[in-house]
Amino acid sequence: MPTFKYDGVEIPFEAGETIIQAAARQGIEIPHYCWHPGLSAPANCRMCLVEIMPAANQRAVTLDILEWDAALGDYKPAKKPKLQPACQMAAADGMDVRGDTSHHVKDARKQVQEFLLLNHPVDCPICDQSGECKLQDYWLEHGQYHKRMRDEPIHKPKAVEFGPTIVYDAERCVMCTRCIRFMDEVAQDPVLDMRERGNLNEIMVAPGRQLDGHYTFMTEHVCPVGALTTKDFRFKARVWFLRTADTVCQGCATGCSAHLDYDPRVNRAYRYRPRENAEVNKYWMCDEGMLTYRAAHEGRIIEPRIGSKVASEKKALAAAAAALEGAAAEHLAVVFSAQHSLEDNWALRELGVTLLGAKNLYVSGLPDGYEDKILIHRDKNPNTRGVAEIAADARPFADLLRDVGSGKITHVMALGGATPGVPEADAEVLRRAQVVTVAAHEGGLSLSARVVLPACSWAEASGTYVNFKRIRQVTEKALEPQGASAPGWEQLAHLGRAMGLDASWTRVKQIRAQLQAAAPAVTSARGAALPTTEVAQ
Amino acid sequence: MEPLDLELEEGELELPAEPMHLNMGPSHPAMHGTVRIVLELSGETIVKADVQIGYLHRGFEKMCERGTWAQVFPYADRLNYVSPMLNNVGYALAVEKLCGIVVPDRCQWYRMALGELARISDHLTCTGAMAMELGAFTPFLWFLKAREMIWDIMEEETGARLTHSFGRIGGVAKPPSDGFKDLCRGALPRILDLVEEGEKMLLKNRIFIDRLENVGIISGADALALSWTGPCLRASGVAYDIRKSHPYLKYDEVDFDVPVGGRGDNMDRFLVRLAEIRQSRRIVEQSLDRMADSGPVNVDDPRVMLPEKSEVYTTIEGTIQHFKLIMEGAKVPAGEVYSYTEGGNGELGFYLVSDGSGTPYRVRIRPPCFPITAGLSKLISGRMLSDIVPTFGSLNMIGGECDH
Repeated sequence: MPTFKYDGVEIPFEAGETIIQAAARQGIEIPHYCWHPGLSAPANCRMCLVEIMPAANQRAVTLDILEWDAALGDYKPAKKPKLQPACQMAAADGMDVRGDTSHHVKDARKQVQEFLLLNHPVDCPICDQSGECKLQDYWLEHGQYHKRMRDEPIHKPKAVEFGPTIVYDAERCVMCTRCIRFMDEVAQDPVLDMRERGNLNEIMVAPGRQLDGHYTFMTEHVCPVGALTTKDFRFKARVWFLRTADTVCQGCATGCSAHLDYDPRVNRAYRYRPRENAEVNKYWMCDEGMLTYRAAHEGRIIEPRIGSKVASEKKALAAAAAALEGAAAEHLAVVFSAQHSLEDNWALRELGVTLLGAKNLYVSGLPDGYEDKILIHRDKNPNTRGVAEIAADARPFADLLRDVGSGKITHVMALGGATPGVPEADAEVLRRAQVVTVAAHEGGLSLSARVVLPACSWAEASGTYVNFKRIRQVTEKALEPQGASAPGWEQLAHLGRAMGLDASWTRVKQIRAQLQAAAPAVTSARGAALPTTEVAQ
Repeated sequence: MEPLDLELEEGELELPAEPMHLNMGPSHPAMHGTVRIVLELSGETIVKADVQIGYLHRGFEKMCERGTWAQVFPYADRLNYVSPMLNNVGYALAVEKLCGIVVPDRCQWYRMALGELARISDHLTCTGAMAMELGAFTPFLWFLKAREMIWDIMEEETGARLTHSFGRIGGVAKPPSDGFKDLCRGALPRILDLVEEGEKMLLKNRIFIDRLENVGIISGADALALSWTGPCLRASGVAYDIRKSHPYLKYDEVDFDVPVGGRGDNMDRFLVRLAEIRQSRRIVEQSLDRMADSGPVNVDDPRVMLPEKSEVYTTIEGTIQHFKLIMEGAKVPAGEVYSYTEGGNGELGFYLVSDGSGTPYRVRIRPPCFPITAGLSKLISGRMLSDIVPTFGSLNMIGGECDH
């Protein structure tokens, strides 16, 4: 593999790679604003300028400049090499690139930083980006100067509504054009552009349009500064109080890798951020998915219920055991949930199929919805494939409704609350049977249930999810379990023991070992997706 | 009742006596801080003494490892709370050593002057309290009156009388006030007069002398073996003073002597402290003479110094600098350092490990009191019960420092 040198470090690269790409792969960050690994490189921020030493047989390209000489008290002529943007410069074998070791580069970074902050408002205390802002980071790393300009900065529009989700602040913008390029290149909807030049430069929405569609949140996430903010997160939390867990989006069967940011002090999730995963979502997520973090708190079941009344855990377990008591195996339905993790579904199979001998298996979940060719999948459940692995012969939910209606099924042991139909209508049919469900969210099943046991959502317990491409991802626990909820597999073990059965699993590790033995795919430890050899259908 | 054993050798009648166990402290007025001594007494003689620290435990080092580097200063204040300025300066010097920062001359002189004032206050408290515990209340009040004068100066300079939190990485919180030199020059002779008067009252007092002289003796070799430092070591005749042996700040440029004792008893420790007050006065006066009246106090290094408030409120650069330093803390280069200064009781060492982040990875403190307190049981074993109070008093154990 050819290599080049960056500050004396040998960096291998593949043909066609730029300096910044190859360095990033080696874990060396060359400061940048406009470059984004998933977008084209316009080289307009000039932060990634590097000095490339001329080859032995070449003359250095230099520029004549005037340099301030403090001793002389005047400017004096000097020479400066022509610096190159690392984001656009293709790496070449044997190239000698200087970054931190070149004082020209250091000067350039400092000056670019000064230039970008020239008209920047004093907004850090009220800016949502504060704490994760590149302007702040780079000022300390590469700037460290005091303001020289004493004029009134140029004022530009603030809090401009770009659409239903995004607010724009032109004063904070560094004109990196990442949002423009994202909408153009990834979302395929070139609705953003820039107008004016120099100080008056600003981002605008195409006349007659607004920034809408399914990928508006990403414009905020590619923004290296606080110019674009989402209405959803605006003024909600300060990022330095948030902690992050690696998780998987629950919005659809794509299963985008995500960071779930939560505040441990109040046990609340505040947002998703996309997590880089070349196999699944690259760097992106859709708006609907980004908002599914709310499901950690909305529509939750956090207390045990008998009928519609909240009950103690002990009473609920006894009632659940009584409800399922004496159910003949041929009249007992076991309903898996595509909304719940592999571990939860495994525990349900152990309890319903192995210990109770049920033969009638069904699968529930949310109904299909919108899909596109970028990320969004028609199936709105994160673990449909996982359920298919656990219970290959599970039949669709419509069959359950028919079987309950015909009286073939008299008892239902279910996971999850969601059903594909209208919740109340589905519940109406299901009420003919004795339903016991372990669920994190409300839905047709939980509405009809004789007993509901609260399960942890994906945010509160680690779980494995298999996306439609059969890529398995493990989520990390973020929040503490809310109310009386416990992980679904644990609730099922409690239920099994209340029924007098030998539900022996007590730790998620045991379940993972079983899953591992059953499935050929490797479950990655920290949530990075490891694709299986199987090809997507 | 048990029958008396009459078959004693030489026919001597001795009352059967079991060793008596006595708890001194942890809540005893003479047990500064909260120390417990479990005594085994034979009559009034101490057979065995088990000195137990740990009743004052804050998890000091772990607390320091939670916040930013700058947030350690208030904790450092509470190490030896009778001379907080010395702790502040000691910690600041340790971080500065790790960062490779040398503060401007003016700040060095200022830190020395404040530090030596703190040392005077430390010694006044120790000697005064010791006298009071032996029943001499008047000199205690005399000494505290002198200490008040120092604390008035401290209040004028730092805004706080006791826990100043005045040190900063790369300088101090505020430049010297306009009247600082005059205040010191006015107060020092009066402080020394009070010390002299108090000293006269004590050193002609038979009871006081008898309770101090030839009590709590430790040889120089033993003191070194216990890794004692500071006035307690010097009282045993070892002239080890970090200010002289390993000068920091500008101590190599000032003229002062290191007083030493001869016997290493309570009286020597008492006298060494009083002599050090006089030496500290000399250092303060020289520092005041040499400290410039104007010029920079803090280093001009945006990595560690907070910007001016006027900059913070009006420029984005100042806001960012402030934000980064407050929210993430000054990024101290990765590495480790041991930095030591002469605290009120001896070598105050900070061993710091940085992983390059804004939070200390490890803060380890070498408090001078810790080894000194470890020697207490050796000093009082075999002595009378009443010797504990002057001996313990002369060691100047500070609970906050002994937090381990």
